[in-house]
Amino acid sequence: MSTLEATGWTSPSPRWAGAARVAALIQVNFGLITREPGAVISRLVQPIVLITLMRPLYVAALAKDGAQAGTSQVVTGMLVMFSLLALSLSAGAILLERILRTWDRLRATPARPIEMLIGKAVPAFALLALQQAVVIGFGVVAFGLHVANLGLLALAITCWALTLMGIGAALGACLRSFSELNAAYDVGGLLLSALGGALVPLAQLPRWAQAIAPASPGYWAMSALRSALLGHPEGTLRAVGVLLAIAAATAALAAWRIGRGWPRSRLM
Amino acid sequence: MGSEPILAAEKLVKTYGRKRALNDFTLDVVAGEIVGLVGANGAGKTTFIEIVAGLVRPEAGRVTVGNVDAVKNPRAARKLLGVCPQETALYPSVTVAGHLRLFGTLAGLHRTALRRAVDDIAQLMQLTEVLAKPAGLLSGGQRKRVQAATALVAERPLLLLDEPTVGADPQTRSALLDVVAARAAAGAAIVYTTHYMPELAELGATVAFAHAGHVTARGSQAELSLDELFPVAAGGVS
Repeated sequence: MSTLEATGWTSPSPRWAGAARVAALIQVNFGLITREPGAVISRLVQPIVLITLMRPLYVAALAKDGAQAGTSQVVTGMLVMFSLLALSLSAGAILLERILRTWDRLRATPARPIEMLIGKAVPAFALLALQQAVVIGFGVVAFGLHVANLGLLALAITCWALTLMGIGAALGACLRSFSELNAAYDVGGLLLSALGGALVPLAQLPRWAQAIAPASPGYWAMSALRSALLGHPEGTLRAVGVLLAIAAATAALAAWRIGRGWPRSRLM
Repeated sequence: MGSEPILAAEKLVKTYGRKRALNDFTLDVVAGEIVGLVGANGAGKTTFIEIVAGLVRPEAGRVTVGNVDAVKNPRAARKLLGVCPQETALYPSVTVAGHLRLFGTLAGLHRTALRRAVDDIAQLMQLTEVLAKPAGLLSGGQRKRVQAATALVAERPLLLLDEPTVGADPQTRSALLDVVAARAAAGAAIVYTTHYMPELAELGATVAFAHAGHVTARGSQAELSLDELFPVAAGGVS
């Protein structure tokens, strides 16, 4: 008889305990977002306002490229810029857990690290996908944005949301404070979206900026979204492949950083 | 109660930079026993609990919980223990019931068993009236009770309670000590770190005195002399 059997203790963990743990973590994390929705609403409303106000400018500037060019540029550009700024939500969710010390509290339970990450990732993914779907939907309904292939567009949105989650997780795991995070997403988000051609079409950027543009995830997001809107599978798949590689690399960095732990647990 | 230890830690070593937090730290706790782990700040009490909980890896030594090697298989060990951290770690916007359900589910409880466990621990910790309140709106004493309740919601063979009554009001302290005593009577092994010796007397706990990263004295309060309990002041163990 083992030491534990001698005490009469039996494990309450059934086979589906892992799924129940993930569901509980997702529920709590959805609650954390929905109980303080200000930042989410802001990231949904801002692109819609800017698209509405700036579309005439883009349409006039890109008139020689066709009737859809200006609308497509302003919708995809604002989508990429504000989804990069929405990194504050996914990265902030992980950073907040560290600051509240709840992350180590969760680590001291039977929950696996992957279950904790899924619990964080699902609400963040839903939020990012919702943001993109709302912005594209607004472009279609309000300004007649043409979507040539809905399946390709869904693929592009999904992969861009995964990339943003990976980058967000890496930022949340590596940065030490909200001050650092604010600087990272304000400066980084603006820089990466501008370099990716989200504010000014790539062809109008200075030569040096065009040369380094592919280093920005925003470049590949713009490429995937534009190709999907035009119904070009080849261009979409190529860009989506790069986005998934970035997502995998940043997620691996986040997992490594979280697995390694911080200099000392802040639990006690 | 059984004589085989539920928790067995042997010659644990852990360093942070140049500081050796644990230096051949050895401690056993059997079923039904409450061990009061006392010692000055920096004596290694919290590091020891972090290692048992699998949050920190020791450089040397061995820890078993039940028959599970907690260093090689920390997740399996965590299924056997409940941890109450010293510092409050709650989500301000999540309700008390939400916290208890979350930690109960993470511990493997579900449906009827979970509901019953949440109701029971809420009653024992005098939290029933505030179950629907977000943690951010609670008083300091209530937050302390929620923190302890999350560790106690599922019955576990081993409980690690790290200074659970620091800054707590008398109501919180009384509720917690009652639950701890009841869990020990039901067979749980308990490590209880504190600076308040009267609490250990009230719990009928044995005392393990930690100093400079290892346990220098172990026994009942009556058995241990002042020299053993306070070796630095008495010019004893260095």
